Amino acid sequence: MQSGHQHPLTKMIAEINSIFSEIGFVFADGPEAETEVYNFDRLNVPKNHPARDMQDTFWFKSSDVSEPTVLRTHTSPVQARYMEVNEPPIRVIVPGKVFRNEATDATHEAQFHQLEGLYVDKGVHMGHLKGTIEHFFSQFFSGEVEVRFRPSFFPFVEPGVEVDMMLKGSKSKLADKWIEVMGAGMVHPEVLKGSGIDPEIYSGFAFGMGIDRLAVMKYGINDVRDLYTGDLRFVNQF
Amino acid sequence: MLVSYNWIKEYLGDVAPTATAVVALLGAHAFEIESVVEKAGDTIFDVDVLPNRSSDCLCQRGIAREVATLTGLPLVHDPLTIAPALVTTDVISVTIEDEAACPRFTASLIEGIVVKESPPWLQDRLAALGQRSINNIVDATNYVMYAIGQPLHAYDAEKFPQVDGKWQFGVRRATAGEVVSLIAESGKTDDRDVVLKGTELLIVDNTSNTPIGLAGVKGGRFAGVSSATTKIIVEAAHFDPVLTRQTARGLGIVIDASKRFENEPSRELPLIAQSQINKLIIDIAGGESKGMIDIFLAKKLPPTVMVRQDRVNALLGLSLTKNEMTDLLLRAGITVVENKNVFACTGPFERTDLLIEADFIEEIGRMYGYDKVLAVVPEAVPLKEINERHYYSEKIRYSLINLGFSEVITSSFIKKDQIELFNALANDKRYVRSSLIENLAETLNKNSSFIDLLGMQAVRVFEIGTVFNKLATGIEERVMVGIGVRQAAHGYTQKDDQALAVIAEQLSDILNTKITLTPKQGLVEFDLTALLTTLPMPTTYEPVPVAAEIVYQAFSVFPAISRDVAMWVGGDVEVSVVSTVLEAAAGPLRVRTTHLDTFEKDGRISLAFRLVFQANDRTMTDDELTPVMVAVYDAVKKAGFEAR
Repeated sequence: MQSGHQHPLTKMIAEINSIFSEIGFVFADGPEAETEVYNFDRLNVPKNHPARDMQDTFWFKSSDVSEPTVLRTHTSPVQARYMEVNEPPIRVIVPGKVFRNEATDATHEAQFHQLEGLYVDKGVHMGHLKGTIEHFFSQFFSGEVEVRFRPSFFPFVEPGVEVDMMLKGSKSKLADKWIEVMGAGMVHPEVLKGSGIDPEIYSGFAFGMGIDRLAVMKYGINDVRDLYTGDLRFVNQF
Repeated sequence: MLVSYNWIKEYLGDVAPTATAVVALLGAHAFEIESVVEKAGDTIFDVDVLPNRSSDCLCQRGIAREVATLTGLPLVHDPLTIAPALVTTDVISVTIEDEAACPRFTASLIEGIVVKESPPWLQDRLAALGQRSINNIVDATNYVMYAIGQPLHAYDAEKFPQVDGKWQFGVRRATAGEVVSLIAESGKTDDRDVVLKGTELLIVDNTSNTPIGLAGVKGGRFAGVSSATTKIIVEAAHFDPVLTRQTARGLGIVIDASKRFENEPSRELPLIAQSQINKLIIDIAGGESKGMIDIFLAKKLPPTVMVRQDRVNALLGLSLTKNEMTDLLLRAGITVVENKNVFACTGPFERTDLLIEADFIEEIGRMYGYDKVLAVVPEAVPLKEINERHYYSEKIRYSLINLGFSEVITSSFIKKDQIELFNALANDKRYVRSSLIENLAETLNKNSSFIDLLGMQAVRVFEIGTVFNKLATGIEERVMVGIGVRQAAHGYTQKDDQALAVIAEQLSDILNTKITLTPKQGLVEFDLTALLTTLPMPTTYEPVPVAAEIVYQAFSVFPAISRDVAMWVGGDVEVSVVSTVLEAAAGPLRVRTTHLDTFEKDGRISLAFRLVFQANDRTMTDDELTPVMVAVYDAVKKAGFEAR
């Protein structure tokens, strides 16, 4: 019997979990049909705030749900859900499917996968964020990786940063150039508070990145939509 | 937002860094620069102003101030520090019914102006930002908006009825069904009548209660400035950001003015804008300033926030001294009062975003440079819990792969199902799926024509994915495992269901629990969420198989064609030797060779192969293959084999 092929996304999720579980990050998950409260409000994204424009959202009809519900636009709601029921120290990753109501092309699909990371403890700082991300990428790409931060804004973190990575001295096409890979930052005190964690005692970092984009980087996939077509001409290459 | 280097240089003076240095400074410490274009002796940057800085940086002065903050050299000319000097007039009145929606409204009167073309310098400034020059009055209002971020609107005072010696402005909520006539949006020629819902805020001519503008969103047709205008009233106000945003988005009118109002520019700006527009109009259109009215119902200045020095370093992972922190805060125009290792910090009035301690810590961090933050990998700790769903998904996944199944991930959207989205992306994606079966059926159909191309014996696929069911209580999500088999390219046969029945037994053995599957049409799914409740809780993850290095190749979307070749060979010929002969003759369009069978008869060995051809750029024709197959048979003969 010929062996079958594993989808590159689940292959990467398994690798991601293996790298993070070694340093104590728990694989958490949450619903894909998420309430507005968790998807936005609890992440410090109030109604009618311009920050909501950053994410075009699929909504469910009110007749089907007991409270306003969306297809989650990011894996970040799981931060709030996990913090609510767990005491720090908290280390979690959340790989999962997310949805954006936007036109699709070779680099955008209305559904894609995201990886969320969250670390809350006493004394967590931006150096830990940098270290964790560097550690992850160097394992994931099997090489020396440098990470840099640029200022950015996401309502659920403050400070917020855009993260670039550089793979050093490798033969890969990605080597020796800065590549924008994710958004990250220190968890906003309102988000901690909203989940019952005292920001005076604890601090934390959070990051979120597209796993589909990682697939583009790791394997040289030229069209992210191929990930979701069920086409074995694609899958059987993995 | 477009930024003109020449324009910000007016504020930065001779000490302005070069355009290249501006790009580097902003990029590392403030905003991403989307593009840099040299244009008519200027350098135009497209700056991606972050949402939290859209209150103060959606203007040329804001970007100049940011550059000054980063270089540590103050602006030589700062329009926000110019003291306004306009006398009060009593010929304009303003009645505000909703203080929260409009905490400030100013209007000034200028008489004796001449409406004409703008001077070249002004046309150039606007052109640099991609704006068309209209006339000196409209251009002046736009110029001040782009300079300091405060939108303005000019009315022809002679077309605006003056009653009891006063021009009477009102600011009130619309009534449902009320209509306002708006000026054509840029790029459109026709004015537009808009029917209102009743939540919107209107500027009205209070003498007749006629709407004259949609507050914060768009000016009305009422009292428009024309070439004959000699007397104008200029309005500069502050409107509630959320309300402005709702109105603008609701009507689909998102223009430069509404974008600024919805990001909460400082309430201090309207007066400064009046001072500037009066000066500018008199400079370029003549006339005389006749005074202003300023109704300021609710002041809102940035709060004073306690910033603990130890907290700054604790959050950033730095060890800055008190003096280093103070220096950085002062450079950003922040007022700092120190008391026992705590700074009482107050942002400059235009920084409506500086509200909590973390905001000030971010200012320190980004200005100092995140490159100086040292990476620290958190010490490894034991894993607190195992994700059962992931653990068993992996177990099932690797088992199915070993049994010859390939994994797919299909769309969560579907043409028709139980739960319809409120705002679907496309007609064939209106619902979310309640089952994996339909997508997998399509997957089998699609892939059955690739059996030869991919050298498969059958199409065997599975998906582990979420489905959505409608219950009385709301939406229920479940993770399902769907499996499909198609052994004959032409379609379903009973053998497919039999194959799945075998799989059920194998999975039962692997998971050590009875899994009953009832396959139909070569497809089946089972509920992993339910199954998890019966399986033992795992205590550790199994190691992830080491992945081989994979370099993906974009595949051809054109159909493949197959040709079978069979021959008698001598007893001791290796299959690989024959393949090599065939492939050499078949040429570059052969993408796969599959050895179909070997049998022996009368002391001779027969070998059969399937050659699959495919082009990257076209659908191949049978005719095209004729000479190729002639070459293949020639090669077979030349190698001493006998085609059959």
